[in-house]
Amino acid sequence: MEERLYDLIFIARPATPEEEIKKVLSMIEHACTEKGSKIEKTEHWGTRKLAYRVAKHREGIYVYQQIRTSHGELIAELERRLRVQDTVIKYLTVRLDEDLKRQKKLGERREKRAARRPRRTAPAPAPTPEQTAAAS
Amino acid sequence: MSEEQKQASAPSGAPQREGGHGGSGGGHSGPRREGGPGGGGHGGGGRREGGPGGPSGGPGGPRRGKRQYFRKKKVCKFCVEKMDFIDYKRADILSQFVQERGKILPRRMTGVCARHQRWLGVAIKRARNIALLPFAGSAAGTQAPRAVEAHKS
Repeated sequence: MEERLYDLIFIARPATPEEEIKKVLSMIEHACTEKGSKIEKTEHWGTRKLAYRVAKHREGIYVYQQIRTSHGELIAELERRLRVQDTVIKYLTVRLDEDLKRQKKLGERREKRAARRPRRTAPAPAPTPEQTAAAS
Repeated sequence: MSEEQKQASAPSGAPQREGGHGGSGGGHSGPRREGGPGGGGHGGGGRREGGPGGPSGGPGGPRRGKRQYFRKKKVCKFCVEKMDFIDYKRADILSQFVQERGKILPRRMTGVCARHQRWLGVAIKRARNIALLPFAGSAAGTQAPRAVEAHKS
């Protein structure tokens, strides 16, 4: 089965101690290894202002992870577990690989076009001084 | 090489000038077009540039004549930066295309091309979900204080 790339962001309560967040992270990691999936990236964005109130909080601790998995159920499982967590007030999982695939495709197409373009435009600017000199 | 170019330039020069006068653009567009195709170089290139130059000068002229309003030429910001993927995590970028209260700005105001606007919409909606951007209507923090102020005044 093909592998898919997911984004996972969760927001913890602003007053959460480090250990609690580590506990959540280890829980995610445990669930991932169980399904034979890999956590590609983990970023701690720190405390950020929320755009709107969530669970009566105006701030939250953001943690961002990228997960590569071939089991879709893993995401459902992770969401279920995050929902239960008290420290986590909001989470989001987004499937990324399709967007990235499209990005790659468009990038390749652009490169191809860029490679074709110089042949047409490159000779054009060269004769300009001569031509202007001839015209005058 | 130079002889060939001169030869090429000589025949191409005539049709270009003809095109320049034939265009309805008038005095303004005339010199500009001469400069443009002159830089075009080879006969083929010059002709190609001259061809679209004529018709494009046509609509350009009347627009100037009819109404004198300036419209800034809007270019899709994402096309300029050659972005093939709009990241929903970059709230700093997304917030430029959103009103203060969180509404997505229309394309006609921001100049974003149709394709990027589509992606932008998706990205903004994702960002809203994770509280990076406000939902339309619920401006964070401003609601409660504003209500209080209104009562006082």
